[in-house]
Amino acid sequence: MAGIYDRYSGVVYSVALRVLGDTGAAEDILQEILMQLWRNPEIYDASRGSLGAWLAVITRNRAIDALRKRRPETDISDVVVSVEPDLAGSADWSRALGKIRGVLGTMPAAQRSALEMSFFEGLTHPEIAEKTGEPLGTVKTRIRSGLLTLRKAFSL
Amino acid sequence: MTAHEQFGDDLALYALGTLEGDERVALERHLQECAGCRKELARLRGDAALLAMAAGASRPPARSRERLMAAVAREPRREAQPVVPIRRARATPWWGWMGWAAAAACLVFAVVLVHQNRVLQRRLFRVEARITGQDKQLQEAKELLSSLTAPDAEKYVLTAGNKPPQPQGRAIYVASSGTLVFIASHMPALPPQKAYELWLIPDTGTPIPAGVFKPDGQGSAAVVKPPLPVGITAKTFAITVEPEAGSDAPTSHPVMVGSAG
Repeated sequence: MAGIYDRYSGVVYSVALRVLGDTGAAEDILQEILMQLWRNPEIYDASRGSLGAWLAVITRNRAIDALRKRRPETDISDVVVSVEPDLAGSADWSRALGKIRGVLGTMPAAQRSALEMSFFEGLTHPEIAEKTGEPLGTVKTRIRSGLLTLRKAFSL
Repeated sequence: MTAHEQFGDDLALYALGTLEGDERVALERHLQECAGCRKELARLRGDAALLAMAAGASRPPARSRERLMAAVAREPRREAQPVVPIRRARATPWWGWMGWAAAAACLVFAVVLVHQNRVLQRRLFRVEARITGQDKQLQEAKELLSSLTAPDAEKYVLTAGNKPPQPQGRAIYVASSGTLVFIASHMPALPPQKAYELWLIPDTGTPIPAGVFKPDGQGSAAVVKPPLPVGITAKTFAITVEPEAGSDAPTSHPVMVGSAG
């Protein structure tokens, strides 16, 4: 567990902190996620994706649940994440972070904003549409195409 | 537009956990059948994981590591699933189990329904049997009553010797239910616009009206179940001559009085 902590605590903590904006709450999420993995290691298997990516997604989901003060909506064992390579490991992390920020920086502001509101704030597309005054369909398409842009940048 | 194109945007929202309502239900139904969309969902989650990298490179405080290690030490791990990724047969996804779960739920529901049906049938049989018995009793009571009060019922009064029949009234009263049946015979004819009124005289208190009647050509009359309060003990019954509409209290001397016995 010490090895997993050393390798992945940064990404788990960062995601939780970005969503919740509170260091204490982010630390609690980090403890919760890693203890869950310790108690039930079978909740993760390699076919669900790299451990780092999987941890990033379930941390984000759990943090959004905490933010919206709702019970966990998604069973952790159901989350399949397909990404290569394991970018959340400390060695590649800072390089990946720079690249991702670069991709986000080239996106149209409205698209990046919709993507971040959806991912880091857990807003639904009607909530985003209401906030930005844009049509529902436009918001939906922006979110999807934003994700595909990220994929494309890393598949090159 | 193919199904995949139709669900394309929704898949992205679903990957982020922000798709709700009917759209979510429709997509989850589609995912059960479409391996291609399940694969695309996993890839979109991978894309979302890339986005998670943009959260920054914060490090948790040092105490966090100690806290975790202390918690781990307190809680022995269940043996002995490796955390390190080992490729194994993919677990059945949740949508794969839904069919079985639904089938099991249907089976349980069917068993409960069969049991309830039997209970209800037994109850129905009991109620029907009771109703049949009550119908029979009711029919007998109606026949008895109609015999007593039928216009063509002939009354025979038996007296000793050659004495002419005297006016006579018989009241059958059940105080606990407030039920009264009264039959009169050989009542004298009344003056115009007058009627006989029957009174229940309680142990204490004022007389209670118990029905207005006019005898037929033979002097016969009946009062069946007039409205009376329940539980009043009758000291006597009395009959007075009153206006046709009846009175709230007797306005003349009784022409007949009778006690129980």
